[in-house]
Amino acid sequence: MTNPSNPSNPSRTRDTALSAPARVPTELTTSVPGGVGSSPHRPDAALKVRGEFAFASDLWHEDMVWGVTLRSPHPHALIRSIDITDALTVPGVRAVLTHTDVPGTNRYGLERPDQPVLAEDVVRYQGEPVALVAADHPETARRAMRRIAVDYQVLDPVVDAEAVVAGAAPLLHPGGNIVRHQPIRRGDPDATAPVVVRGTYRVGMQDQAFLGPESGLAVPAPDGGVDLYVATQWLHVDQRQVAIALGLPVDRVRLTLSGVGGAFGGREDLSMQVHACLLALYTGRPVKMVYNRQESFYGHVHRHPATLRYEHGADRDGRLVYVRAEIFLDGGAYASSTPAVVANAATLGVGPYEVPNVAVDCWGVYTNNPPCGAMRGFGAVQAAFAYESQMDRLAEAVGVGPVEIRLRNAMRRGSTLPTGQVVDSAAPVAELLRRVAAKPLPPPVDPAEVDLRQLPGGVANTTHGEGVVRGVGYGVGIKNICFSEGFDDFSTARVRVEAVGGEVAATVHTAACEVGQGLVTVLQQIVRTELGVRRVSVLPMDTSIGDAGSTSASRQTYMTGGAVRAASHAVRDRLLAMAAAELGATATDLVLAGGAVLSTRDGAAVDLAALLGADAVERTAEWRHRATEAVDPVTGQGNAHVQYGFAAHRAVVDVDTELGLVRVVELACAQDVGRAMNPQAVLGQIQGGSAQGLGLAVMEEIQISAGRIRNPSFTDYLIPTVLDMPPMRIDVLELADEHAPYGLRGVGEPPTISSTPAIVAAIRAATGLALTRVPVRPEHITGT
Amino acid sequence: MNPFEYRRATDVAEAVAAVAERPDAVFLGGGTNLVDHLKLGVTRPGRLVDITRLPLDRVEPLPGGGVRVGANVRNSDLAAEPVIRSRYPVLAQALLSGASGQLRNLATTGGNLLQRTRCVYFQDITTPCNKRMPGSGCAALDGYTRHHAVLGASPQCVAVHPSDMAVALAALDAVVRTHGPAGQRAIPLVEFHRLPGAQPERDTVLDHGELITAVDLPAVPATRRSAYRKVRDRASYAFALVSVAAEVELRDGEISQARIAFGGLAHKPWRAQRAEQVLRGAPATAATFQRAAEAELVGAQPLADNAFKVPLARNTLVSVLTELTELTGATEPTQEDTP
Repeated sequence: MTNPSNPSNPSRTRDTALSAPARVPTELTTSVPGGVGSSPHRPDAALKVRGEFAFASDLWHEDMVWGVTLRSPHPHALIRSIDITDALTVPGVRAVLTHTDVPGTNRYGLERPDQPVLAEDVVRYQGEPVALVAADHPETARRAMRRIAVDYQVLDPVVDAEAVVAGAAPLLHPGGNIVRHQPIRRGDPDATAPVVVRGTYRVGMQDQAFLGPESGLAVPAPDGGVDLYVATQWLHVDQRQVAIALGLPVDRVRLTLSGVGGAFGGREDLSMQVHACLLALYTGRPVKMVYNRQESFYGHVHRHPATLRYEHGADRDGRLVYVRAEIFLDGGAYASSTPAVVANAATLGVGPYEVPNVAVDCWGVYTNNPPCGAMRGFGAVQAAFAYESQMDRLAEAVGVGPVEIRLRNAMRRGSTLPTGQVVDSAAPVAELLRRVAAKPLPPPVDPAEVDLRQLPGGVANTTHGEGVVRGVGYGVGIKNICFSEGFDDFSTARVRVEAVGGEVAATVHTAACEVGQGLVTVLQQIVRTELGVRRVSVLPMDTSIGDAGSTSASRQTYMTGGAVRAASHAVRDRLLAMAAAELGATATDLVLAGGAVLSTRDGAAVDLAALLGADAVERTAEWRHRATEAVDPVTGQGNAHVQYGFAAHRAVVDVDTELGLVRVVELACAQDVGRAMNPQAVLGQIQGGSAQGLGLAVMEEIQISAGRIRNPSFTDYLIPTVLDMPPMRIDVLELADEHAPYGLRGVGEPPTISSTPAIVAAIRAATGLALTRVPVRPEHITGT
Repeated sequence: MNPFEYRRATDVAEAVAAVAERPDAVFLGGGTNLVDHLKLGVTRPGRLVDITRLPLDRVEPLPGGGVRVGANVRNSDLAAEPVIRSRYPVLAQALLSGASGQLRNLATTGGNLLQRTRCVYFQDITTPCNKRMPGSGCAALDGYTRHHAVLGASPQCVAVHPSDMAVALAALDAVVRTHGPAGQRAIPLVEFHRLPGAQPERDTVLDHGELITAVDLPAVPATRRSAYRKVRDRASYAFALVSVAAEVELRDGEISQARIAFGGLAHKPWRAQRAEQVLRGAPATAATFQRAAEAELVGAQPLADNAFKVPLARNTLVSVLTELTELTGATEPTQEDTP
C-alpha cells in the first residue's frame, strides 16, 4: 500500500530508498466508476491473485539488516541470567539486545501494560521474547541467537483457567490472576421454570491463521526517531505503545501501513513493532523482521479457549424464563484484550433472545498458556456455541423444532438486553431464521453418481456413500459492532479536492488499516457518492493523520466511513459556497454532480475544475458514534454497545458415522447489513466468516499440552481447504440503522459466530450425539 | 540452518561414495521433508548430495509382468502413470491422498519411503526425543499423543510413519532396490522400515550411504482388486489418522488372497498378517472382516489420546473390504486438485 512518490506527505520523502519487489497497486490512484451500493473492483484483487501484491514481508531497504527474536522454550520459568557474549562474536552481528536495552518503559499492552517488550526475570509463556539479534543476514542472526545463553529455572506452568478462578494457582502477576470478572444480573436471581436444560460446553483455542506472517521494516530517522512500515490493524495504538517502550515522544515514532496478509484480530497486539524499532535505533540501520510460520504461532494472540456452564429455564412452550451461566475464558500469560472479550461474552451471553431473568458470570484469567486476545467474533463466538447448543436442548425438551424454539424467543427491535440496554434499531432475528429455514434443501447423495469430493473424507476414498447420515442444524448469533463500554471511539479522515490536469480529483487520507477487507474501495465509493467526483485516490495509511481506531469490531466502514463522509460534507459545503459566490446563487440551491456544481433553481452550472483553478479544498473530520457507557461491575447493567449485528445459518452435513468424518454439504446464511455498501465485499465477508466458523466447528484447534503449542504449522494446524468449504446460499438484508452512516451495520464478525453452532447442531442431528466441545473430531463421532 | 556442503551427483556410484565417505552426509531428493528439517534444526548434515539428476526417473516394465519405479520418479508422475492407475489402483490412490499437489510434484519415490515422522516432539528441538537425539527420552509419552502409535511402539518411541505411498507398497509386496558401499541388494518393503525398539533413531534397515535406486512392484493378476482408504481431519492435505491399503482376490465368494497394510498406527507401514490369515479362505462377509480386524488389533496398546484409532482402524478396514468385495471393477483414482 505504500506509495513512495506521493508528494503531499512530507514524512515520506526519504522513501526513494524504499522499494518492494512487487508492483504498487496502481489502481489506487486511478479512477474506477462506482459509488456506495456498487461493487467496483478492488485495487488489490488482481495483484493478490497473481501473487504480485506487496506484503509487509516483501519490504526491502538497500542497506537493511535483519532482526530475529530469541524466545522462551518454557511456558513458565525464572531467568537467572542472560549471557550474550558468545553471540556478539559472530561475524556480521550488529546488535544483541535484552530487556536492559529497552530505553523506555519495558511494558506494553492493549488494555493493560502488563507485558514486557523483552522478558526480565520471568517468562510466562512458551515463545515469550527474551532477546533480539540484528545481523547482515537472517541466517547469521539466527546462528548468533542460538549462542545466547539463558539460564532458566523452570517452574510448573499454570494451565487450568477454572482452577485459577477457584484460587488454586500461584500468582502470575502482581495484581492477581483474575484479569476480569464481569457479572450480569437482571430480574429475579431465584426464578424457577418447569423446563430446565443444563450443559457444559468447551471451545478449543482457535488461531486467526492469517497467511501473511508478522513483518515490518524499521528505518532510523535523522531526528532520532524511527519510521516503521508494518502490517498491523491499528497504527496509532501501535505508535503509542512503541513510543512508550522507546522512551520517545509520539511524534518521533511514525508508522505507515504496509501490505497486510489478513488480520482477524491477531494483529491488534504488538509483535515485532518495538523490537524492530529498537534494533534500528541501536544499529543505525534499517531493520527488517519477518516471522516464519512456526514463530507466527507464538507471535500473536489466539482466540480464548473457554469452558461454559449453562442452565436455561423455560415454560412448557419453550419461552425462556431464565438463563444462568458461568463462562471461563483462558487469557493466557498477558491481558491483551481479555477485559473486553470478557465483557462481550458476558453481555451477549444469552444470545439474541429475550430473557427476563439473567445471571451470568464471566471470568478472564491469567495462565501460562499462550496469550489470548482479539479474534473475529471476540467473546461472542464462545458464548454462541454454548447458548445455541442450549436452545437445541431446550427445543428437544419442549418438543418443538430448532427454528420454532428460536422464533419463540427471538429478540426484536425494542427488546431489552440482559444489560438493561434497549435495542433501538432493526433486530430481525426471526426474519433471518425464517429465511434460512425456507431455503430448499440440497438433494441427498445419489449413490449412482458419487463424486468423492462431495462426501465425508473428500478425495481420500473414505466412503462411497455407505453409512452416511445427513443432518440439518441452525444457529443464530449477536455481535456488538464498534467499540463498547464508554471507549472514546472515533476516526479521523481528510478529504481533498483539486483539479489535476483539468480534471477534478479527490484524495482521501486516513489511518484506517486495510487488512484485506476492502476498506480502500469503500472509502473511494463514499467520496464518489458524496462529492460526485469519479477520480478518488486513497493515500497510504499512516500516523501523520489522526487516529482511525482499530480495524476490528466490524467497525471500520462504520467509523472511518463515517469520518470520510463527514469530511466530504465539509468539502462539499466549501465547494458550494465557492460556487454560490461564482454564480451569484444561494448555496442551498446548489448540488454537486458529475464533477460540476449545478443549480437546482435555474440549471446554472460551474465546472469544479474551473471553480477550483489552482486551489484545493481540504477538510479534516473527526467522527464519533453515539456514546456508550461502562457496565456496572456488580450488576452488568448499562448501555454498553452502540450497534448489534445479527446473522443466522442453516447447515446441512453428511456424516460418516463409522469413520467419524463430516462433510458440510451446504451453508445457508441470512444477515442484516443495514446497507450493502459494496455488495460483493459483503458476500466475501459472509463467506469468509462462515468458513472460519466451519473451521472452529470441525478442525481448527491449537493443541496445547502443559502450556506448549503442539501444532505450530499449517501442516498440523488445519484450516478448511476449498474442498471442505461448501457452496453457500446467502440472503443479505438491508434494514437501515438510522443511527449509522448510510444505515450500515458492521458485517465482518456475525457470520463467524453462527456458523459454528449451526454445523455442530447438524452433526448432532445426524448422529444423536451430545457433542459439547468444538472442534468436533472423528473420535467424538465414533465415540472413543 | 547450519552450513553444509552441496554436491550434485552425476552417477549412482559417485553419489554413494560421496555420502559413504562422510558420516554427516545425506542424500537430497525432492527435499520436501529434509529441507524442513534443516530449517527446524531437526537434522544438521554437513554435506548434501543432490541425486535428482541421476537417471532414476523411469517407470519400466519388468520381465514377468512387474513394474520397476525409479527412485527419482515424482509422486505426481507415478500417480498419473497409466500402468499404475490401471493395475495398482491402491498405489495411485495412496499417492494422490498424500500431501498437496505442489508437494507431490517435488516428492520422489525414494524420498517418500524415507520421510521422517510428523511426531510434534521429534520436530520440536527443544523437547527430548530418542529419535532425534538418542538417549534423550520421549516427550510424547507424557504429552499430546492423538497422532501416535497404537501398534509396535516401544518405551523409547511411539511415533508413526507418515507415508501413504509406503502403506500401499507394503500391501503390494513391493521390493526396494538399493545400491550401497557394499554393493546392491533387494529389500522387501515390509522389512525395509523398522519398529523403533531400542533404536528409534533408525527408521529403516538402510546402511549409511546406501541409496534407493528403484522400487519393484510384483506382477498382479487381473482378478485382484485393491484400494487405499485414508481417514483424516479434513478433506485434503492432512496426514492419516488411520489408513488402510488392501488387495484381495475372490473365488466363489471366498477370499483366496488378501494383503492388508495399515497406515497411521505404527512406526512403519503395518502389514496386517494376522488379519490376512483370518481372511484367506474365509467367506467375504462382514463377520469375516470384523474378525480379521479384531485379530490384528487385539494387541493394540493405545496411549492417552489415541484410543479412538483402534475402532477407527477396524471400521476403516471393514469398510474397505466391504467395498472391494462388492465392487465389480477397479476404482479409478480421483484427481484431488481439481474441485
